[in-house]
Amino acid sequence: MTAIFRTLYEGAFNLFEKPMRMLQYSLGAHRMAWVFLLPNLLIFILFTYLPILLNIWYSTTGGDRILLGDRNWVGAENFATLFDCGSYMDPNSCRRDLFWRAVHNTGWFVVLQVGFMILLSLMAALILNRNIPLKGFFRAVFFYPVLLSPVVVALIWKWILQRNGVLNAGLDWAGMGTVHWLLDPSWAFFWIVFVSIWANMGFYVLILLAGLQAIPGDVYEAAEMDGTPTWRRLFRITLPLLTPTLLVVMVLSLIRAVQAFDEIYVLTGGGPGSATTLLIQYIYDVGFATRPRQFGLAAAASLVMAGVLLVLTLLQLAATRKRAEEG
Amino acid sequence: MKKNIAISAFAVLAASAAHGQELRFMCYQDGNECDVWAEAFQTFEAENPGITVVVDVVPYQAILESLPVQLEVGEGPDLARVTDYGGLARFMLDVRPFVDDPDMIEARYGQSLAWARVGDNAPDGIYNIVDQLTATGGFANQTLFEQAGVEMPAPGASWAEWAEASVAVRDTTGVDFAMALDRTGHRFAAPAISFGAALFDDTGEALVIDDGFRAFAEQFVDWHENGVMARDVWAGAGGGTYQDAAAEFINANLVMYYSGSWQIGRFGRDIGDAFDWVATGGVCGPEACTGMPGGAGVVGFNHTEHPEAVGKLIGFVARDDVQAQVLAQTRNLPANAELQANGIDYQDVMPEVAAALTVFAASVPTFSDTAYALQGYQFNRAVFTSIPARLTQAIVGELPLDDALDRLHQDVADAIAEAR
Amino acid sequence: MAEVELCGIVKDYGAVRVVHGVDLTIEDGTFCVFVGPSGCGKSTLLRMIAGLEEISGGDLMIGGARVNDQRAAERGLAMVFQTYALYPHMSVRQNLAFGLENIRMHKAEIAARVTEAARMLQLEPYLDRRPRALSGGQRQRVAIGRAVVREPKVFLFDEPLSNLDAELRVSMRGEIAGLHRRIGNTMIYVTHDQVEAMTMADKIVVLRDGRIEQAGAPIELYNRPVNTFVAGFIGSPRMNFMPCTVTGRDETGITLQDAQGRVLQAAVDGRTVAVGEEVELGIRPEHLHPDPEGYPVTVENVEQLGGESYLYVRTETGVALTAHLTGQTTLTCGSNAHLAIRPDFAHVFRKDTTALPRLRLGELENGTQP
Repeated sequence: MTAIFRTLYEGAFNLFEKPMRMLQYSLGAHRMAWVFLLPNLLIFILFTYLPILLNIWYSTTGGDRILLGDRNWVGAENFATLFDCGSYMDPNSCRRDLFWRAVHNTGWFVVLQVGFMILLSLMAALILNRNIPLKGFFRAVFFYPVLLSPVVVALIWKWILQRNGVLNAGLDWAGMGTVHWLLDPSWAFFWIVFVSIWANMGFYVLILLAGLQAIPGDVYEAAEMDGTPTWRRLFRITLPLLTPTLLVVMVLSLIRAVQAFDEIYVLTGGGPGSATTLLIQYIYDVGFATRPRQFGLAAAASLVMAGVLLVLTLLQLAATRKRAEEG
Repeated sequence: MKKNIAISAFAVLAASAAHGQELRFMCYQDGNECDVWAEAFQTFEAENPGITVVVDVVPYQAILESLPVQLEVGEGPDLARVTDYGGLARFMLDVRPFVDDPDMIEARYGQSLAWARVGDNAPDGIYNIVDQLTATGGFANQTLFEQAGVEMPAPGASWAEWAEASVAVRDTTGVDFAMALDRTGHRFAAPAISFGAALFDDTGEALVIDDGFRAFAEQFVDWHENGVMARDVWAGAGGGTYQDAAAEFINANLVMYYSGSWQIGRFGRDIGDAFDWVATGGVCGPEACTGMPGGAGVVGFNHTEHPEAVGKLIGFVARDDVQAQVLAQTRNLPANAELQANGIDYQDVMPEVAAALTVFAASVPTFSDTAYALQGYQFNRAVFTSIPARLTQAIVGELPLDDALDRLHQDVADAIAEAR
Repeated sequence: MAEVELCGIVKDYGAVRVVHGVDLTIEDGTFCVFVGPSGCGKSTLLRMIAGLEEISGGDLMIGGARVNDQRAAERGLAMVFQTYALYPHMSVRQNLAFGLENIRMHKAEIAARVTEAARMLQLEPYLDRRPRALSGGQRQRVAIGRAVVREPKVFLFDEPLSNLDAELRVSMRGEIAGLHRRIGNTMIYVTHDQVEAMTMADKIVVLRDGRIEQAGAPIELYNRPVNTFVAGFIGSPRMNFMPCTVTGRDETGITLQDAQGRVLQAAVDGRTVAVGEEVELGIRPEHLHPDPEGYPVTVENVEQLGGESYLYVRTETGVALTAHLTGQTTLTCGSNAHLAIRPDFAHVFRKDTTALPRLRLGELENGTQP
C-alpha cells in the first residue's frame, strides 16, 4: 500500500519537477515567480478586475439588453438620475426616491448596527475576559451564529418573528397580545438591526477578546497599586489600550454593514414597503428583480456604493497599519 | 435541475439517419404539462419522420432568468414554454409560413396570438400557442361560510359584498384573515379594471392613473388599514417581490382568496376533504366583473436552424385534437376558442376541481378588452412589478397614496423608456 | 513611614503550600532585600505584602495595623515592577500623575510632585514622551518615579533591575540606594542577585522553598551564615566546600582531617561536635592564598582580570575549589600549586548543614590575606 503511494508521489513529483526545472533554466529564478503567480493572477483578472471594468462600462449604458454591443451609450446619465434630488435629506424629492430611501436606510442601519454591535461586543468581551463560570460555553454561544449561513439565520428569526411565530405564541400565552413584528416598518427595522447584530457580533467579540488578552497583566497590577477605581480603569487603561483593536473592529463592521443584504432579504424582503431596503437590495431589485432590468442604473448605484466602501477600506488599512506600528 | 426526456431512442436514431433534425424544447410545468407534451410528441414524430423533439424540463425560474440571457446571446433551445410574451417577443419565430392552416390558428387563438404581436413583430405573425390559459379569480372557503351562518355572495357579487361577507365570516369563526390578493400587479389589475381603470391612453401607452385606478387603489389601501385584507401578503415583502397566500387558504385561515385558475390543481391536492371550497367566478366592481387572462404557451425562436420543423411542431401543438387530449390530462383551461365553446372532458377529477374549472372557463369570455390588452402589452412586466412596490409604500404609510400613484406612473414610464 | 511585620504568613495555591509561615519584622526605614533562588517564594511574599496576592494565613501588619483585608491601594504602598508596567498609552508625565489623579489630588499638588520626582530622577527631558520612546533605564526610572510621587509608607521592588544590562544595573543600584538614603522610607526589594542584596540592603532575608533561611545584616550573613545554603548563596564566587572528619577540638577551635589525611585547623566552637564526626569545611574563594606549606592542588583554569585573579583548581582527592587572589598570578593551566587556609577564615557545617559558631573572624583583621 505504502509502496503504491510512494510510486504515485514520486511519479507526480517527477512529472512536475522536470518541466519546472527546465522552465527555471530558460526563464531564470526571477521570472519564475510569475509562473507561480500567473494562475492566481488570471483568476483575479477574470473574476475580479474584469467584472469591475465591465461594471464601469455598464454604468454608462442604457437599455435592457445584456450584450454590451446592444446597449446604447448614455454617458453619466445613470449617475445624473441617481443624484437628481431636491434635497438629499428627503428621498421623496429625488427622482430615484427608492435609491435614496435605500441610502437613508443603509445610513441608519450602519449607525445603529455598528454602534450597538460594538457596544454589545465590547461588553460581552469584557465579561468573557473575566473568570466567570462556564466561560468556554458562553464564548461558544456568542460565536456559533457566525458559523450559520445568513439564510439559515434569517429563517430561524422569521420562524420566531412571523405572525404565528414563536415570539407571538409566547406573548399570546403570557396574555400580552401579539405584534406584527415584520409588518410594522419600525419594528421590522429594529429586527433587521437586531438579527444582524446577533448573527455577526460573535466574530467581533472574538477579536476584542484577543485584543483584551494582549493587554499586559502587569499594567493592571500597576493600576491596582495606583488605587485605580474600576470605572477609571476601564476608561483610562482598558479602552485606550484596546483602541487599535476597536478601530479595526469598527471599520470591518462598518464595511460589512454597508454590504448587508442576505439576512435582510430573506427576513423582510426589504419590506414592509421600502422600510428595510438597503443599498445592495436596491441594486438587486433594479438590476434583476424588476422588468425591464435596468442594468445600467444598477451598475451606477453599485459604483456609488463601491466608492463609499473604498473610503471605508482605506480607513481600515490605515487603522491596521497604525495597529501594526503600535503593536 | 435539468431532466432530459429522450422521446424515443429509435426515433433519434432514425432522425439522425434521415435529416438529423433535432428540436430542443425547454419546458417548465406547474403540474404535468411537460410530461404530457413529451408523450404527445411521439405522435408528432411518427407523423414527421426525421424530426425528433427533446424536452428539457427546467424550473420556472430558469424560464424567467436563464432563457432570456441565452436568447440575448443567440443561444438556447429551439422552442420553449413561456409566459412573458412581451419580453421575449423579439426572439420569437413567426411560423405562419410553415403551418398548414394559418387561418384556422388565427380563428382559434386570435386573442392570445396578439400577446406576442408587439414591438417589431409582424401584426399577423403566428408566434405563440397558449396551452394553459389562466384566469384570475376568487376562491372561497365554503365550510367557513356555513360555520359562520353567513350567506355566500352569489356569482356576480361585488368586491364590496365579498369584503363585507368575508369580514363577517372571519369575525364569527375567528380565523386570521378575511381576504387576500396575491402580491403582483397582475392580480391587482383585474379589480382595478372592474373599478373602471382604463390603464392605457389613446396612443396605447400605459400606465394611466385615472379615477378608476385611483378608486380601487384607495379601496385597497383602506382594506389594509381596517384589516379586511391580509396585511402579511403585501406588507410582508418589499419591492416587486411576488407573494401569494395559498398556504393560508389551504390552512383554512383565509375566507376569500383572489388568485387564479392555476391554483385549482394545488387546492384539489392539498385541501382534499379538509373543507369545501368554491371558485367565485368574476368579482364585480362598479364598471366590470373582469378577471385577468394569462397563460403559458409554446413559442419557437428565430435563431433555430430548423424553422420549418419548428413551424410544423407549433402547428401540431395548435391542433384541436391535440389540445383537447393534452388539456384533458393537464387540467388546464383552453385558449382555443373552439375548445372553449365545446368544453373539455376532464377525466378523474374531484367535484370541487371540476366545478372550479367550469367556473373559471366560463369566466374567460367575460374578461374585458382592457384585461386582454394589458396581458398583451409588451411592457406589462414593468406594470406588474411596479404596482406592488409602490402601493405597499402607501399601505405601510411610507408615502401618501397620491404620491405613491405618481411614483408608480413615473416608474412605469421610466422602465418603458429604458427598454426602448 | 512604617514598620512591616509578617506573622506566620502562609500562601497556598490550592493544595500546594508555597509559603510556609513566614515571621519577619522589617523596621521602619529599613532597606530590606528578599533574596533566594527562583521559586523560593520571594516574589509571592512581596506580592502578598503589596496586596496583589491574597494571604492564605497569618497576619500582615503595616505601621502596626493589620492590613490582610485591605486592598492594595489602601495599604499605602507603592511597587516597582520587573517589567516596569508603565501605562504604554500615557506620557511619562501622565504615568507619574495617574495614581495621584485616582485619589483626586489637587492639580497643583500633582504638578509639584511630578516636577520634583522628575528632577530627582532626571526625567525632565522626557516628561512628554511615551514609554515606548525611552530606554530601559529611563523606563525603570519612570517606574520608580511613579512610586515616589505617591509618597508611600513602604516601597516594594520586584526584581526591578533584572531587565537591564550589567552596566545600567550597577548605576541603577546606586540610584535606588541613593533614593533610599534621601527619603529614608521602608523599602522591600526582591532579587535573585546576591550582589544587589549585599550592596543595597540594610537587612537581607534569604528564602528557600517558602521559608526564611536567615535574616540579618549583609555582613552578618557573610560572616556568620547559619547553614550551607546561606553560606553558598551569599558571597561570590560561591563558598568552597570540602568533606572532612573532626579529629580533635579545644577552646581555640577544632582540628580536621581530609580524605587524604591532611590536617586543617578551624576556629569554630567545637562543643557540639564529636571527634570522628564527618563535617563540611567551608572556605570562601577570597580566603584561599598561595603558600608553599599549603594544600597541594592542580590548576585547571586561570582567569586574570588584571587587578585580581581567579584560580580553578582540584585537590588530590578530586574536590574542585575556586580561589580569588588579589593582583596577578604566574600560575598557568596544568601547573601544581599550594593553597593555604587560615583557621579564622574557616566555616564548619555539620552533616545537617547547620554551622558551628565561629570563634574568631579573620575578616575583621586588617588585610584579609597575609
